[in-house]
Amino acid sequence: MQQADQAVVEELAFGEAMRELESIIAQLESGQLELEDSLERYERGVSLLRTLQSRLSDAQQRVTTLMGEIDAVDLESGSGED
Amino acid sequence: MSEERSLSVTEAMSLAKGALEGVRVRVVGEVSEFNDKAGYKAAYFTVADAGAAMSCLMWRDAYDASGVALRCGMLVELSGNFSAYVPKGRMQFSVRRLTLAGEGRLRMQVAELARRLEAEGLMRADRKRTPPRYPETIAVVTSPRGKAVHDVLLTLRRRYPLARVLVAGVPVEGEYAEHRIVEGLQAAAAAAPDVILLVRGGGSYEDLMPFNSEMVARAIASCPVPVVSGIGHEPDTSIADMVADVRASTPTAAAETVTPSRGELERMLVKERRALGHALQRYLAAAAHRVSSIASRPPFADPHALIGPAAQALDLAGIRLRRAIPLRLERDRERVEYFEGRLRVTGPRLVENAATRVAHDAARLQDLSPLAILARGYAAGFASDGRTVVRSVSQVSRGDRIVIRVSDGRMDCTVDDIEREG
Repeated sequence: MQQADQAVVEELAFGEAMRELESIIAQLESGQLELEDSLERYERGVSLLRTLQSRLSDAQQRVTTLMGEIDAVDLESGSGED
Repeated sequence: MSEERSLSVTEAMSLAKGALEGVRVRVVGEVSEFNDKAGYKAAYFTVADAGAAMSCLMWRDAYDASGVALRCGMLVELSGNFSAYVPKGRMQFSVRRLTLAGEGRLRMQVAELARRLEAEGLMRADRKRTPPRYPETIAVVTSPRGKAVHDVLLTLRRRYPLARVLVAGVPVEGEYAEHRIVEGLQAAAAAAPDVILLVRGGGSYEDLMPFNSEMVARAIASCPVPVVSGIGHEPDTSIADMVADVRASTPTAAAETVTPSRGELERMLVKERRALGHALQRYLAAAAHRVSSIASRPPFADPHALIGPAAQALDLAGIRLRRAIPLRLERDRERVEYFEGRLRVTGPRLVENAATRVAHDAARLQDLSPLAILARGYAAGFASDGRTVVRSVSQVSRGDRIVIRVSDGRMDCTVDDIEREG
């Protein structure tokens, strides 16, 4: 069904996933969907939620230096740069 | 002229005035008194340093043209010449040109640049772009040393560790700072982040000057990525701040501006989860209600209701049809037989009737014939022409010839006498 043109949840950017989740809630609230679609949307919403929450809790800051080395002292409290 | 000769006061002052006016100098000093009343033809003020003070006057038109609004405490550079106000015996400095000096001058230059860039439209509100709410990559252009970069990285990590951070470390003060800041902005933009933070910790007005440079302002304005500035502390406003898409007051504030807070996000997601569940429940409840309300309507509540009348009508029609066909056939046959009978009787009778009627008519015709009347013994008189019937004695005269017809012939007669009766 809609699955074909939908990106895999894990591949979405955080902002994209947020926007999609918000639009799913809005769609469900509008009550305009077919029953099958509404269930499918709900499942999609749940998996978006799950990935958003786990991404938030697992996130590690990644810092890349383009120019000029940052003082080690400044970054020592930082986490895993790459 | 004898050296011993005494001068009048006027002469002495005039001499002094002449001597003073030859002294043209440029002076830097701090404004310690300022008197500028609307009706005055000149602005009167005093400049001073630690050791001396100097009364100044500047004619109104020259003062207005200088573009400087004097205030006590300003460091100014004056050029002009000394002079004397003869009636009061006072020495004064007649100012031709007035400019701000030191930081005052810097501020004025910055204000001038700001005006120019604003006139060009670089600060227009409709040029300001909004950084995305959930940036994936955030670039930071700042000094790689010091508190600013630390504050920014810490804030980004605390609030939104999801974003990848790119740091372009550049010197933010000194001779080449503005060039390096521009390079930093370009390197950051080339990495195509979602937003660029241009930040610097606090410093003196002069320290912040690279962020007041035209070069940096133009690099910000032409940057393909939204730029958020966080330069110095709260009250400082640089040209970079004015040109940036978003102006934050400090580096930390800039980092906060471009990120959602993790805690808020988590709370929001909990709310979204609830909203998602509620939305589906409400949807399902509404759908169930709709289904049941449809189910209770006549066609579904009583399936016969929909086709009942039609089915019944069909049955009735069938019955009538079954009854109607043989009945009609029978009736038609009877009618044919009846008409056949009648025709058989009527046919010959028609001829008989006609013969009778002809005979009858012939008899009536016979009765009506004038000959028949004559046969009963009547006679008819005609004028001599034999056609005009004589109905009155007035039609004839004595001696006229008339014709009398009877049933079997005619007689030619002469009228001998006429007698009227009645």
